[in-house]
Amino acid sequence: MRTELDLEKVVSELYAPLYRFALALSRNEPQAADLTQETFLILAKQHAQVRDITKIKSWLFTTLRREFLRGLRSQSSHPEVELQPEHQDELVADSGVLQASDAATVLEALAGVDESYRTVLELFYLADLSYKEIAASLDIPIGTVMSRLSRGKEQLRTLLAKTTPRDKIFPRPE
Amino acid sequence: MNSDAAKEILSAYRSSDRDGADPIFQEALSLMESDSELKKWFEEQHAIDRTIREKLAAIEPPADLQAKILARIRGEKVRRFALPPIWLAAAACLLLGGLAVFYSDRGGPDRFQEFKSDALAMVSAEGGPALDLWTPKLSEAETYLRDHQAPYDEALPTRLKSMETAGCRAFVWNQYPASLTCFRLGNGMLLHLVVINRKAIGDSNIPDGIKSMGDWHVMFQQKDGMLMMWASQAPMEKLKEMLVAALGAAQTRAAEEKITQRRFPKSLKL
Repeated sequence: MRTELDLEKVVSELYAPLYRFALALSRNEPQAADLTQETFLILAKQHAQVRDITKIKSWLFTTLRREFLRGLRSQSSHPEVELQPEHQDELVADSGVLQASDAATVLEALAGVDESYRTVLELFYLADLSYKEIAASLDIPIGTVMSRLSRGKEQLRTLLAKTTPRDKIFPRPE
Repeated sequence: MNSDAAKEILSAYRSSDRDGADPIFQEALSLMESDSELKKWFEEQHAIDRTIREKLAAIEPPADLQAKILARIRGEKVRRFALPPIWLAAAACLLLGGLAVFYSDRGGPDRFQEFKSDALAMVSAEGGPALDLWTPKLSEAETYLRDHQAPYDEALPTRLKSMETAGCRAFVWNQYPASLTCFRLGNGMLLHLVVINRKAIGDSNIPDGIKSMGDWHVMFQQKDGMLMMWASQAPMEKLKEMLVAALGAAQTRAAEEKITQRRFPKSLKL
């Protein structure tokens, strides 16, 4: 039996994580707010066609990403960040380094991860989707999700080590 | 399974409550018991994941985002109601045509009384009227109403324009788009303005002056093809003061008509 979807409850529970996901994609606050609104509007128009409401969260994040890509067209707003593998080991952030960083720093580092890994990471950290949901959302095999997560996390830690203001962690003597 | 393969699998692990029961993680988690290096790596990785999630969760969405989303969703519901499927619209046209013929010989129902009763029921709802958009800014309310093709008075007097609003609502009454805008008068009192196309009430006569209906004071105004209903529970003098600003003194002489029979229907035709 089909359960009715409580749209307002869905909005209340998911608008904040969706906005954060949109912000990570667009890196623009007004655009993130617009994307979030548009995604819920699509849900409001199409919710009668949503067969399984337990998958609504995954549907929303997938739809938001699709809308973002549709708007993006051919332009690329995510510049490639060149990694330097030979220094990777010494740059990998530990949890102490990470504690000193803020949300903006994490977002900035996330934006610098290679695109193929970044999308998986965003769905993992911001949408809190399982590897199966990520695989379904991106239409890629489960094994690919796992390997991209593994490599993407490594890149992210490297970038966090680069971007974290180290003065905050190791204050310079006066 | 070797340590590297286990690390790759465990990269996708979120927490025991969400992924603990998933068999794909079981072997990797078991291997951790006999591989201290893997266990150390996993604990560190897990701590970093948790911290990253906490950092990202600290990003606050704009304060009004939830309200905007809800307003757009409600607006979509109103729009969908206002645009029925073609076959339903055709059936409605046939029915309305039949009713028009039926009533043409009998003087027709008093659409004005129906509208007045329904609008009063809406604004006098317990806890206040349901609004699509809560905003203190009249400009935002007007933008919302314009976006939802609801009629509103674009030329309100300066005094009303400078007043804070509670918000607005776009709705459909008898297939005519309509709007409600609520102004804050102070002391918790509101002044409601309901706007609809004049054609919605047909040829019904519209009374002059301020009417008292129970606890409510109501006044109607025709302007640019629109019918506007002002309603408030504020004291008559306060209301007159506001409405003089809106309409001019000539139109606001109080009729002091007492309507003893209060007829508020339970639901609006939304």
